This record gives sequence, structure tokens and C-alpha cells, in this order.
Amino acid sequence: MNREVVITGTGVVSPLGDSRGEVHEALCAGQTALKSVQGFDTPGIEPPLAGEIADFDPVAYLGSRNLRPLDRTSKLLTTAAKLAAEDSGWTAEMLAEHDVGLVVGTMFCSAHTISQFDQRGLREGPSRASPLDFANTVINAASGQAAIWHKLSGLNSTISAGSTSGLQALAYAVDMIRSGRATALLSGGVEELCYETFFGFYNSGSLCNSPGRDQPMPVPFDTRRNGFFLSEGAALLMLEEAESAAARGARVLAEIKGHGSAFDCRSSSRADGHSELLADAIVRAVQAALDDAGLTAADVQAVSASANGSRADMTEATALAQTFNGQTDRLPVTAIKRMLGDQLGAAGAMQTIDMVETIHDQRLPGIHGLEDVEGTLPGSVSDLTREFEVETALVNSVGLDGNCCSLVIAAHS
Amino acid sequence: MRVVVTGLGAVTPIGTGREDFWTSLLEGRNGFGDVTSLDISGYKVNRGCELRDFDASPYFQRQDPNSMGRTSHLAVAAARMALGDAGLDADSYPSERAGVCIGTTSGEPLVIEELDDCIVGECLDESDKHFSYRYPCHVIAAHVAREFELGGINQVIPTACAAGNYAVAYAMDALLAGRADVMLAGGADAFSRITYTGFYRLGAIAPDICRPFDLNRSGMIPGEGAAMVVLESEERAQRRGARIYAEMAGYGLSCDAFHMTGPHPEGDGAARAMRMALKSSRSNREDVGYICAHGTGTKASDKAETKAVKQVFGDGAYQIPVSSIKSMLGHTMGAASAIEAVACASTLSEGKIPPTANWETPDPECDLDYVTSGARDQQVEVVMSNAYAFGGNNASIVLKRYRG
Repeated sequence: MNREVVITGTGVVSPLGDSRGEVHEALCAGQTALKSVQGFDTPGIEPPLAGEIADFDPVAYLGSRNLRPLDRTSKLLTTAAKLAAEDSGWTAEMLAEHDVGLVVGTMFCSAHTISQFDQRGLREGPSRASPLDFANTVINAASGQAAIWHKLSGLNSTISAGSTSGLQALAYAVDMIRSGRATALLSGGVEELCYETFFGFYNSGSLCNSPGRDQPMPVPFDTRRNGFFLSEGAALLMLEEAESAAARGARVLAEIKGHGSAFDCRSSSRADGHSELLADAIVRAVQAALDDAGLTAADVQAVSASANGSRADMTEATALAQTFNGQTDRLPVTAIKRMLGDQLGAAGAMQTIDMVETIHDQRLPGIHGLEDVEGTLPGSVSDLTREFEVETALVNSVGLDGNCCSLVIAAHS
Repeated sequence: MRVVVTGLGAVTPIGTGREDFWTSLLEGRNGFGDVTSLDISGYKVNRGCELRDFDASPYFQRQDPNSMGRTSHLAVAAARMALGDAGLDADSYPSERAGVCIGTTSGEPLVIEELDDCIVGECLDESDKHFSYRYPCHVIAAHVAREFELGGINQVIPTACAAGNYAVAYAMDALLAGRADVMLAGGADAFSRITYTGFYRLGAIAPDICRPFDLNRSGMIPGEGAAMVVLESEERAQRRGARIYAEMAGYGLSCDAFHMTGPHPEGDGAARAMRMALKSSRSNREDVGYICAHGTGTKASDKAETKAVKQVFGDGAYQIPVSSIKSMLGHTMGAASAIEAVACASTLSEGKIPPTANWETPDPECDLDYVTSGARDQQVEVVMSNAYAFGGNNASIVLKRYRG
């Protein structure tokens, strides 16, 4: 396993911008994506709040060619793929000539299309359901559509591991490149905001603006936090085998040093608050990532946490404190879901992209509005954006069903 | 390091459990019937491969099956059978070194269908409350992991109708990379109104029976099911004296990047996946003694697959038995290639090739040896199993006879 994996480009579509630089500036300035939703009707809820890309215009990125078969999720992903390819110096001709693959993490993929397809059949009879929509009801629809649009003929995988899907997709892609099954893969995640998922989370009481909340307080690690806010976006990284990237003269943004994952199989159900069992699984995932990278906890200089403002944030805080064994005072930790919202299947990839930018400009976004820190990370979290030397960083992703994934990235040596 | 298959579990429209399923396959039994789980009155076809009388409760010990969707039921059932078949229980592996990877097309479709019923019927209440945590497809692997204390890798690969092969392939890589000691891998899908309606609207459902590679083939038949295999290193399997069905030797993945629902007409992407699978498994094309076809029974798919096989194997293609077990159990979506992996492992260990059932009339464009006159006694050294999917996904895996 001597093949190393480098990041040569990124593509982002998010409510805080469409490039990693723009998103990073917004995060460092403490801007929030939380605002009134325009994309769907919300009977009985005023105002519904979420991180919506209200002005998303795929034509501005892709032109109007061949967009009709694509639903919103596919358009987000296809746009991110275009931006990532351009950023990494892959032309459309190069993409079509080489077996570039696509590995996409998603939690719901096209839930809205699926529901609409089914509802039309129910309302008007099955003979009125749309065959064009049916193509988009499979959970790999977005990766299939993006592959067709960009002529990506390499392996095409979709990974679902809850809100860790995006980071798991990167992990999968890293292994594919290391083992020689691929040399260049676009990898990351996508999630759309839609009626079905918004109301699902809203009614399950998970959101900071679910029924019964006075005021949204999606502030990770803060004692006053009362849930996360739902968001959307697509985030893709161009991952390449290091020697092959060097041979084509590619600019290298950072290296992926290792990854690890674990599952909390002992909890009887999904985590609702603090869970020692889930904390154990997070510790195992982080340790596995460090081992895979050939590093120790002392080598890590910054952490992007999964925390999103849920009660379960304490679980991750406990796990990080345990992993870094009392060293957390010197270890800056950020939680960008405070500003961006939870992009679910895209979140881990978005965190990774922002950490690439942190390694580039040596600034770690603060956790906007954090005042009253609960528990175990008092020295490491801050509402202030901090400047410091960071070459090696950990990206963490935790799903409340028990999925845990960690990734170590580092400046290119 | 070699990865071997030591346990097989299957829930299929023609039999539950490895032995039942295998017996039905060799007998050429059909699993087709009228659709019972959905109101069929608005459809012009009425043919499905449903699991009748499937009761999930005997397969659960640690969770309440009522707290989850049907696809999870099928996956847990297949997983319990596979682990039992392998002689494993939660005490026989370190939890953190045991993982699970499951392929699916639709995840938990009945959960979103319930939501849709409520939206259309304007009765939103409870279903909306549990939608966000019962619907996302990763819960299938989460449920299997909780039931059998699998604390390692946990992933669902929803790559539609090729997903079972993707999952088995990924599990193999996880073992090779040293990320796990034991992996459960397979696929699961529940019979779904959305899937049935979609294939109905594509005009893809056969009105009577499924006849892959027959001149008069008229389509596929949607089904449901699950299958899981236990994968571990040869060394570990030998150490614990496990029965080894086969070696999981390699795979190839590609994307047509051509059409969402139809194959590339020449089968180019499929051929690339097969070539990669041969290379990855260090096999020569002359070694392959059986091809377990995707063979859905649609005009375009069977023709493209036949062309792809000829592209890869040349004149040798005519010497290789090729059969489609979908002729008997219909198309079980994301479970299909996992069920086919169970069939392939059994083929290698038992020396018998399952037939293509229901075949009557030769098609000049499908002119390979489709094993059309019943199961065949034949010891095979290397099998290739093909799976193709929406999105232009192609996945071929290669299994080899295990000789110790």
C-alpha cells in the first residue's frame, strides 16, 4: 500500500458560497446559512428555517444542455463535479478519455423525486407516473446522472452511512486508489433540502426550529443548544494517486493520510443524548484513522467536529477528550455545522474541503455564538476564528444511528 | 491473503435458506404469482415475485422488528442464516473487527410509501415523525449490526440492481486492507409500489413469466429478497475449521455513462467490468467455466449482455455455460446479485450449474449456451457473476473453487 492519495481540486455548492475560498471566508466571518425557506410550501409553520441554496441556478454552471433529466440532487452533484474538475485541471475531454470514477455519499438522495413519483401514481393512477422521474428514484440516481453528464466511465459508487456518508465516500475512494483499482476519483457527498426530509426532521423534534423551541440555538457544544438546522449542498474532491497527479503536473492541495470507521452496535437504538457506547465507537474510528495514517494523537493540530447543535454533541466532545488524552486545551476544534447547517450526506466532504482551506490559510473558523461551553472541550472550542500553524488535521463524522468515520489530511510534503 | 466464503444465507421467492433455495434452483422452480401486497387495479400487468408469509420475528433477538422497515427484516433474516451457516455467533468474532456491507436499490421504500399515502390522504401524523430515522437506507446495515454485534465497518452501497456485487466487492477489499477480520456482505430489497410502478411505466414487466435470452422474452418480473455471505481470510477460516464454499477472487466495476435506465447497446461498459474482474482475480478467460448472467429477461439487457460476453471471451464464449436465475426468482433488485453470489458459491462447491428456466425459442442475437434443459452436473473452477444497474453501473465478480 505505497500508493498515496492527494487532493487536486474541490467543488462546492452550498448556501454559503460556491468555492472553498468563499465558503471559508463566510465561515470565518461567522455568517449563518439559516434563513426562511423558499423552495417548498410549509403549511402551519412560520417561518420554516433552513440552509437553502435559494438562488441555485444550474444553468449558470452547466449551460442548458442535457439538464432536463436531472432533478435537484443530480444538478447539485453535477455542478460540484464540474467545479471540482475545473479546479483540478481536468478538462471535459480529459474526463471523457480516462476512466475517472465517482464515489458519492448521500443519506436521502432524491427523496423528493421518489415521493413525487409515488404521489402522482396515487393521485392520478399508476399509468400517469413519469418514467423519466422513475430513473431518478434509485438512490444512486445522482451519481448516475452526473456520470452521464461528464462522461465518467470509471467505477461509480454511492455510499450511504447516514450523516457520515460523505466522509465514508472519501474513505472508500481512498482505498480504491490505494489498492490500484482507480487513479482518479471525484468523491464526496450530496444532499438536497426538500419538503420530505425537512418535515421528517422537524416533526421528529431534531431541529433547532422543531415544535416547542423558543428560539433556534444550533450552537454546538453550547449548554443552550437545542438542535441542528437542516441544510443542503454538494461537495466533491478530486482525489488522485500521487505519482499520477505529479506526472500530469497537477497542483496538490493536500494529502489524505488515512481513515478509519467504526459502528456503535451496542446501543439499543439511535443516540438521543450523551452515549458512552457511541463515544467508544468514535474513539475507535479516530484511532483507526490515526493508525492508518501512521500518526499519533499528538500529531493532530486541528479538528473539524461533526457536532451540529444536538444534545449528542457531548458524546463527540467526550470521545475527543479521551482520544487526545487531556491535550485538548492545545487542540483547536471547530464545528462548521453551526454556520452551514447539517448537510447530512454532504457534510463530511464539506468539512474536509474547509479543512483543506484551513491548512492553506492557517485560519480555523470559530463556532459563532458559542458562549457557555458544556463539558470536556473548554480550551479547544471558541467563537473566535483563530490563526495558527496547522499541517495535519482530523475530520470527524458521527451519525446518531452509530456510524462513525474519521479522516486525517495533511499539507502536501 | 485470500478471501473465502464460509457462510451463505438467502431469503428468496423460491426458497428460504441456502439448501431450500439451492434445491429450488436446480429444480427450475418458478416464483411468479399475482401481486398481493399492493392494489393492482390500476395496472395492466399483474406479475410479481413476492415473499409470501415471510415472518421476521424468528430472526430477531435484540431488536423489535416493528421499529423498522421490511428491507431490514429481510437483511437480518439472511444475515442470521449466513452466520449460522458459517458456524459463527457474536462470541466467535471480536465485535470491532466484524463489519457489514449491504447493497440495495430502494432502501426502505415502504416507509416513504407510507408517508406518501399520508400526504395524499391528508393524514400526516405518526409516519412523518419516524420518516427521518426509518427511511434512510443506511439503517439496513445498522439493524444488522445491532442484531449481531458488528462494531466495525458499516455501510450500505445503494448502487441499484448491481448493488449486491458492489457490497461483496467492498467487503473483500475491507478484508484485504486489514480493516476487518469478518465481513457480512450482501443485498436486500422489499417489494415496492414505487419500483413496480416504475418498471410498469417503462414497459419492462413480463405479463406471464420471465424468459431470459428467449426470442419471445417479454420482460422482467419485480421481486424481493435478501442474501448475505460471510467473508473472511482463508487463514482464519482454516484455523477455525470452517467449511469453505469458494474463494472470492476479484471484481471489476465500470460505468456506461451513457443512459440512466438502458444498457450500452454494444455492452462496452459491461465488457470493461468483466475484463477488470478477470485481471483482478488473476484469471484467464479460458478458466471461466460458468457465467451467472444479469439476464433480466428484457430485450435490450439480455442482448447487450450477450454482446459483452462475446467481446470479452471471443469464440470461447460459446463454450461457457451462461444462465440467468432471474428466470425463476424474478428480479430482486439490490438483492439480486447477492442471491446470485450465493448460487455461484454453491455451484463451485456442489459441481452443479443452475438452469435458465422457461426458455423455449432461440434468439439469433442471443446464441450462447444458456443451460436451457435443466441443471447441469459440471465441476467448475471459476465463475463470473454479472450485475448491471440504473445509472449505467456494471459490476462483475469472480469466485473460484476452493481446493485448500
